[in-house]
Amino acid sequence: MPAPRNPLASLLAGAALLVASQVSMAQEPVRGGTLSMVVQPEPPTLVSAFNSAAPIGVVSTKILEGLLTYDFDMNPKPVLAETWKVSPDGKTITFNLRKGVKWHDGRDFTAADVQFSVMKVWKELHPRGRSTFAKVTAVEMPSPHVAILKLSEPSPYLMSALTSYEGQVLPKHLYEGTDIAQNPYNSKPVGTGPFVFREWQKGNFALLERNPGYWDAKKPYLDKLVLRFIPDASARAAAFETGEVQLGGFSPVPLSDVKRLQASGRFDVETRGYEYLAPMFLMEFNLANPYLKDRRVRHAIAHAIDRDLLVKTVWFGFGTPATGPIPSVLTQFYTAEVPKYPFDPKRAEQLLDEAGFKRAGGGARFRLVHDYLPYGSDYQRTAEYLKQALGKVGIEVELRAQDTAAFLKRVYTDNDFAFTINFFYALPDPTIGVQRIYWSKNIKKGVPFSNASGYADAEADRLIEAIQVEPDRRKRRELINAFQRKVTEDLPVLDLFETRFFTLASKKVQNHTATAEGVYGSFASVWLAK
Amino acid sequence: MKDFLRRFARNRSAVAGLAVLALVVLMALAAPALYPGDPWDMVAEPFLPPASPGYPAGTDMMGRDIAAGLFHGARVSLLIGLVATGVALLIGVSVGAVAGYFGGLADNALMRLTELFQTIPAFLFAIVLVAIFRPSVATVVLAIGVVSWPPVARLTRGEFLSLRGRDFVQACVAIGMGDTRIIALHVLPNALAPIVVTGSLMVATAILTEAGLAFLGLSDPNVMSWGSIIGAGREVLRSAAWITALPGLAIMLTVLAINLVGEGLNDALNPRLRGR
Repeated sequence: MPAPRNPLASLLAGAALLVASQVSMAQEPVRGGTLSMVVQPEPPTLVSAFNSAAPIGVVSTKILEGLLTYDFDMNPKPVLAETWKVSPDGKTITFNLRKGVKWHDGRDFTAADVQFSVMKVWKELHPRGRSTFAKVTAVEMPSPHVAILKLSEPSPYLMSALTSYEGQVLPKHLYEGTDIAQNPYNSKPVGTGPFVFREWQKGNFALLERNPGYWDAKKPYLDKLVLRFIPDASARAAAFETGEVQLGGFSPVPLSDVKRLQASGRFDVETRGYEYLAPMFLMEFNLANPYLKDRRVRHAIAHAIDRDLLVKTVWFGFGTPATGPIPSVLTQFYTAEVPKYPFDPKRAEQLLDEAGFKRAGGGARFRLVHDYLPYGSDYQRTAEYLKQALGKVGIEVELRAQDTAAFLKRVYTDNDFAFTINFFYALPDPTIGVQRIYWSKNIKKGVPFSNASGYADAEADRLIEAIQVEPDRRKRRELINAFQRKVTEDLPVLDLFETRFFTLASKKVQNHTATAEGVYGSFASVWLAK
Repeated sequence: MKDFLRRFARNRSAVAGLAVLALVVLMALAAPALYPGDPWDMVAEPFLPPASPGYPAGTDMMGRDIAAGLFHGARVSLLIGLVATGVALLIGVSVGAVAGYFGGLADNALMRLTELFQTIPAFLFAIVLVAIFRPSVATVVLAIGVVSWPPVARLTRGEFLSLRGRDFVQACVAIGMGDTRIIALHVLPNALAPIVVTGSLMVATAILTEAGLAFLGLSDPNVMSWGSIIGAGREVLRSAAWITALPGLAIMLTVLAINLVGEGLNDALNPRLRGR
């Protein structure tokens, strides 16, 4: 077989092989056992319904549930909603809810819980839900197990936001009339999920036990689920090796340790299960900078960076070079038909000359200070690589180290930066995850992960706003393709590569990555081989 | 002077230390000639083990030449060690001199201030300082200087206290010499020997502190020091130990050499040890 030239094709081929190997290994699930999973860092609370912090999701999604889940191609699958129907005008969405589901305290789950969660929790308190559910005007309940969402305008992206992480249903009887964000049940959640909360020893672990009355009879298979909080990455690697923990998501060990752990033959390294988050590693340019405001300079920087080398050497292969703002894992929206910037230092120098920034006596053309997201050594090594790569084409770069709070303030509040490296979740729909970086209405001082480059373009805004309300899938896809072309041409943000998180699992742990939600899944069908 | 050199040379280990130190200084001076490129340049395959052709010390996880890093790192480590010690001596000697010479209220106030600094663990204090004023060569030097002056101040004060009452100082006062002049020309030269010894040892401590800060990622990201090579390499300690071991060895030898030289200086300068 000739080697596939397209990296996407090789990725898909790899994924297909993985699926095949898992199917061939499939055996009858076994009941019982305790699974220890590592979560980093320790979450501040255990409910995701109004707080999108990543580690909360790993814990809360085992206890609380959403209406839907999604397969690896982002097709919705039933959880608390058994069937659903979107009206042709896109303004009415009907959910038929599962009957006989009980909260862990014995009360019945009904449409009233869904109504309360949509109107009082997601729409008002969730950082992304505020815009996702903005057009929902009411939730009608013709019967206790039917919930009808009424919308003022179509919101085609809403159907991608109903997982137990993004749209977590809370029990109305415990939350109504309270200060939801301060409710004591946030640290001892009561849900409908496969596991019941037992204990949270802060700084150490959270213990969950099997829910014997779970609606999916026979499941879950595990008796207990222990979530361990181990702050140091090298200590986590040691915990895997001693067998103290068997599972961890979001690249739990240093990238440089993966090869060694894999070589032991005791672990699986799974990169699927992050399709829902679709993380993207990118560079934000400050368009107010006297050099970077020139598009040719931004194009030159794109040509000066060897993304293959970046992924292979700095990120130990855990990534795929990006072509545009939407990651290729979002197969419904991704297009490769965009302007490309292959690694070509000569072209970069030529563009910089054209922009009028000539090398003064063979030295540097100009100098920029670079702020990198201080999330650890991988990020710092990326910054070190960029300094070298840009130096080669005559852009002198000085690295600026700082802590996360200082970085966020500098970029999103003070706007006192030239260019960053950063990473964003693209999430399953461009309206939910990607538009925030490019929409001129999202230039908001003080809001982290908003449009920091200051990009304001009438055409881009028109496309973004049309994408928000276009109910027809084919027409919407065309708009999204046009948007990808437009912003890749203007390049206010340079998408470097699609981050590949990995889940590290002992070979005994089965079914840990069953949906596009990965470690945000409910774990009802996870079991331990003897 | 001849006498001093003879006494220093009698201490064999001090001479050995001086030789190693000279070698390190030579490394630092030769770095731009031997490795004219940037030590950050990715020049080869990552993870080449030591003794690979063309790369005697191997390469790190980014394919950077570790030998180039060691040579350029010597410049940074020595520079930071010396300048930080200079800063600490400047603060320490000034505080100690004023406190010891004038005594009374000034002494009381300055010594309470010194104690305040002494009660804070030095390394933690340095971390806090560097973290507040974002990491750069200047802030690292300043932080190390600020946390290491108190012992110098104590020492200087002690020397000044004992010299203050001597006849030759009293004579200076009697003929109406100004305080500054007495301190600078008569008391300080006589107190210098122990300060020089302490200062030489402080260079070693400063190099270690810088390495510790760099190991924690709290050094200037634009500058390659021995500590920062170790900090970057610790993740791969179990699969590529040479990345941490080689700069670690360099730090160990340099610090040992400086300590030996300091010891030798002490022997040579301390009159009480004469004839030992």
